[in-house]
Amino acid sequence: MKSSQRVIPWIVFVLAMIYASQKVFMPERIDGPYDLNTFREIAVSAKGRTKPIDTVARNGLMNISGRQSIQGEYGEEDLTAIEWYIELATVPTQGLDRKVFRIDHPDVLTLAGLDGEDRTRFSYNEIKDAEQEINRQAELASNTKAKARDPFQRAVLVLAQRLSLYRELSSLGSPYYLPPNEVESEWRSFIEVINMNPQDQDAQRVLQLLKSYRDAQRMEEAVASGEATQEDLDEAIGYFNSMVAAQHEVIKARLPGEVIKSKLEVIKNQARPFVSASALYVMAFLAGCFGLMTTQLKKDTLSKTLLGTMTSLVVAAFIVQTIGIIARIYLQGRPPVTNLYSSAIFVGWFCAIIGLYIDRHMKLGLGGIMASVIGFGTLIVAHNLGSSGDTMEMMQAVLDSNFWLATHVVVITIGYSATFFAGFLSIAYLLLGIFTSALDRERGKSLVKMIYGVICFATVLSFVGTVLGGIWADQSWGRFWGWDAKENGAALIVFMNLLILHARWGGMIRDRGIVNLAIAGNIITAWSWFGTNMLGVGLHSYGFTQSAMFWLIMFVLSQLSLISLGLLPMKYWRSKFERPEVAAESE
Amino acid sequence: MLNLLKPLASLKLTVWIFALSMFLIFAGTLAQVNQGIWTVIDTYFRSLFVRIEFQIFVPQSVGRVPGAIWFPGGLTLGVAMFVNLIAAHAVRFKFKKNRIGIILTHFGVILLLVGEFVTGFAAEEGNMTIREGETVNFVEDIREAELAIIDQSDPEEDLVISIPQWKLSQENMITNGMLPFRIEVTEWLQNSQVFGPAQSPPDRVGLADTGAASQLAAVPIEIANGVDGANVDVPSMYATLYNGEERIGSFLFSVYLSQPQLVEIDGRDYWIELRFKRTYKDYQLKLIDFKHDLFTGTQMARNYSSQVQLMDEGRNVDREVLIYMNHPLRHAGETFYQSSFLENDEGTVLQVVKNPGWLIPYLSCTIVTLGMIIHFGIRMVPALRRKPS
Repeated sequence: MKSSQRVIPWIVFVLAMIYASQKVFMPERIDGPYDLNTFREIAVSAKGRTKPIDTVARNGLMNISGRQSIQGEYGEEDLTAIEWYIELATVPTQGLDRKVFRIDHPDVLTLAGLDGEDRTRFSYNEIKDAEQEINRQAELASNTKAKARDPFQRAVLVLAQRLSLYRELSSLGSPYYLPPNEVESEWRSFIEVINMNPQDQDAQRVLQLLKSYRDAQRMEEAVASGEATQEDLDEAIGYFNSMVAAQHEVIKARLPGEVIKSKLEVIKNQARPFVSASALYVMAFLAGCFGLMTTQLKKDTLSKTLLGTMTSLVVAAFIVQTIGIIARIYLQGRPPVTNLYSSAIFVGWFCAIIGLYIDRHMKLGLGGIMASVIGFGTLIVAHNLGSSGDTMEMMQAVLDSNFWLATHVVVITIGYSATFFAGFLSIAYLLLGIFTSALDRERGKSLVKMIYGVICFATVLSFVGTVLGGIWADQSWGRFWGWDAKENGAALIVFMNLLILHARWGGMIRDRGIVNLAIAGNIITAWSWFGTNMLGVGLHSYGFTQSAMFWLIMFVLSQLSLISLGLLPMKYWRSKFERPEVAAESE
Repeated sequence: MLNLLKPLASLKLTVWIFALSMFLIFAGTLAQVNQGIWTVIDTYFRSLFVRIEFQIFVPQSVGRVPGAIWFPGGLTLGVAMFVNLIAAHAVRFKFKKNRIGIILTHFGVILLLVGEFVTGFAAEEGNMTIREGETVNFVEDIREAELAIIDQSDPEEDLVISIPQWKLSQENMITNGMLPFRIEVTEWLQNSQVFGPAQSPPDRVGLADTGAASQLAAVPIEIANGVDGANVDVPSMYATLYNGEERIGSFLFSVYLSQPQLVEIDGRDYWIELRFKRTYKDYQLKLIDFKHDLFTGTQMARNYSSQVQLMDEGRNVDREVLIYMNHPLRHAGETFYQSSFLENDEGTVLQVVKNPGWLIPYLSCTIVTLGMIIHFGIRMVPALRRKPS
């Protein structure tokens, strides 16, 4: 029986790694005679960053339809993002009937003259008649301050912005296809150059590339109607493939570094490491919960196997997440945290470290369970933050400093992680203490000791991170402390941690007090992480979304109800923390 | 003496100060939504007491909430923290090896509080706006205006009389021994928008009848709070000038207008303008070139940079400097930061900061960090070394 404790977690670990890496070693090829596999790796420039066309296509489709592929109707195959994109860029007539525009708001549907009974995605042809009115409504809405807009105004603005992105992609306004050459050091717009200087070699090549796809598509129709032969089609497709190769060669010659980066980014787009990691966290959570339950049932071997499995799943998720983060660092040439999206990923990643570390020192399995809860939660948050575009966008000029991004931002994010971890461990303490008899005096004490240790760590990190931010501020605009919303948020975290420590040292609180205050720390951290960005004031007011506000409020309410649960008199807790009475008398 | 200090040294007091500070910081953050950040800094963080309105906790779109409470301001809490810390160390001071960390940390915190105090009282911030090719030798305080009356009749030197903003906004009749005329401020607009003849709202037309700006109209608007990108107030004022008992005319003066207006009194020319308060310096900056680079194919700024010539005869300085994001220029106890730029990239706006205490936070934070690492290090390392049970 003992061997299963050792072997099963290893098997699960290997399976998990295979699951997460299958798309890296067996990349999804796009079937068919067109060489779209090379086409999607061609580097272009969009929003100031050099990236493969694959990323442009995925982000575009994601932004417009909320998905990375188009589901086939009536048994047709799904359309991948790259197929959708090249169709849109070269043969618009066909692409205009693809149902890609996601519209949910009933008034916007009415405005566009649509019936949203059975679906939420519509084609350009279905909404084009209402385009003028949509733009008029969007202009009205944009004249209202962001915070004062009603749901209709927000929805119509989103639709107008999607339409404009769609037009930009179909008219080739973005991305820029022409790589830098001997004369120009920057990427150039294909459409501008072909209009101004039709003889430009780079522009001609891209023109041929795009035209050859359209010609081949037309040839397909001709073959179907018997006007052309299969050989003609093969020749047309062959020509397209040779143009793809030619463009790829030119970029390889001029920007040799970008070829590997593009290839890697396409692999990352497919493998979606953060999606795999979140799936692994869910499995780890389940294994951990069953492990805890079986501990209660005194099924020792089973519970140890399950907890071991949980640990190996958390480790696997952590490795996958690490690889994803490293890939982002390499692709972007930046430290790991550059925006809210990456901060969410980083918080989950660091919590996995803390969790695994805690489990090494206290074999309750709570570290892993909480790491998987936070890991999954933060990846969901990141997923929602990243759904509207490129998550590796360029940085505002003032943030353009790798040194401070690597120090201040990373340290403060670790501070968030640690404060969250202390809060979540406290939630575990509360739930186990109130609803189960899993905790006794000894275990309760050692759990609180862990919470206390994490709070000490969090205090140091959040203080150092805040101070480094102050030094950055002093360097870039001459003010060490400006009482900016985000700065204040960071200060709140420091104060919260200090308050817990001093209250403990002063004997004002004991174990339960630490636990309840640490849960309050969750509220403070969530506030300064996201809430301060939602105020729309100050230097850090980016990434404001209404739905984020709703979830923040929900989170705060959930933590408040946990705290009120924690105030329940001890006699109602199922775990008993007092010393056994007999022992007390004998002392 | 010690008995007196004991209550001041209690950890309970510390915890209460932390809790109150947290509430103050939270409220002071929310208040920034509707009041300018500078107003909030003065009323919340650098004050003894602050009246916190309940309205700040509820968005105005949701509803009006009356009422407010008085709360200790940042200055009170800062001083309280300071006293509490000093008292704690006076009462419980014991130099033991394992307390070095705590002592260092607290010493650093005391220094940090002192630093913020110095900054609050001694730091000066201003702006230098320079067009390309222009040389400028003064700093403007964009949070305060002044009415400048310039007499150029002396070919050697201009005579400048400036009337500070507090006088303009509080007194309605202003006289000055150097001036042959009186100024009656008929309306002071803390923040305003200036309209041309065609756009001005009908009820604001004709408030001024004399001067180059008489065709324009200034309309009061809400005080800038940093929302929607606007964080500078544009003050304007309507004023009537009297030469003895004789009415010269009513004028519109505004910071928005870039040219002074000419008023002739008793055969003498006076140029009058409302402008941001100026402080003249003994050095000059000439803007050679301002660059504003964008990311390819976007409107997003990649970098702003100002190439300037720094000239300071008294210090024997005459050199070219490049000021850009995260790379300020330090000169003569002042620091120059790339802050903003003029429309069409015609010029640069540098932020000029003079803060004699700028090094204190660096020092204190190093000490606190060191102290915390020592303190927690001493306690944590043995705990972690212990074999897992």
